[in-house]
Amino acid sequence: MTVQILLLAGLILSSIAAVLVKDLIKAAVALAVASLFLGILFFRMGAPYAGAFEISVVAGLITVLFMLTIALTKTGGDVAESKLATIAFPLFFVVFLAVDILVTRGLIKKLTTLPAEPAAGVFGEVLWKQRTFDLVGQVAIIFAGVLAVLALFRKRSKDTDD
Amino acid sequence: MTSPWTLYLLAAAALLFTGIYALLTMRNLIKLFIGVEVVSKAVSLVIIATGYAKKSILVAQGLAITFIVVEVSLVATALAIIINLYRHTKSLDIRRLSKLKG
Repeated sequence: MTVQILLLAGLILSSIAAVLVKDLIKAAVALAVASLFLGILFFRMGAPYAGAFEISVVAGLITVLFMLTIALTKTGGDVAESKLATIAFPLFFVVFLAVDILVTRGLIKKLTTLPAEPAAGVFGEVLWKQRTFDLVGQVAIIFAGVLAVLALFRKRSKDTDD
Repeated sequence: MTSPWTLYLLAAAALLFTGIYALLTMRNLIKLFIGVEVVSKAVSLVIIATGYAKKSILVAQGLAITFIVVEVSLVATALAIIINLYRHTKSLDIRRLSKLKG
């Protein structure tokens, strides 16, 4: 339990760092560290596949994409953030947490879940046989993403030709 | 008496708040997108923690993987849009996008 609390604290602190740090590269690295904590939490909760995906894809690939974007937009990238927002964050955060703890304590007992038989068997079988439609959706979304990126960059090259 | 599930839900709520705060207050487009990423971390934490607490971790894992795939697709598209906007306006400031002109 203590390890879980430490991991959760690390996750929250590095996410806050990712949001509040001024340097964009440092923010991207903090986001990758947050993903790492989340992946370890997934492993500890008995979800190794999701953990491996989280660490390899989110901490790896997305960080690389962020770095690439930061490098490509380097010259105009320094935007002045409002200082008030950074200073006021801890106050808002503490108030939100206090309200949230109060509300969650009252509501947590009333939360019900839909009746479902506990999933048994191997993960691959559950993914292929029970969630087949999700896989179709994943393929569709990957195609949509690829087409969107292609369309965005092609439009730009046409603009420069003109 | 706090169960682990309550703890996970509280942590996810804290992450959600952090992400939404970034979305509301930041001005840099990449910073805004980091806020979206933090929100999506909260969502995957809730999915897996609920599956763990309600003894159906396999289905939760399938859903989390689907969510991660959606997230990657979203990130690729959004960063391409950000690069395009940067080439258009030569800046990452969200306030310079408030005019819907040229």
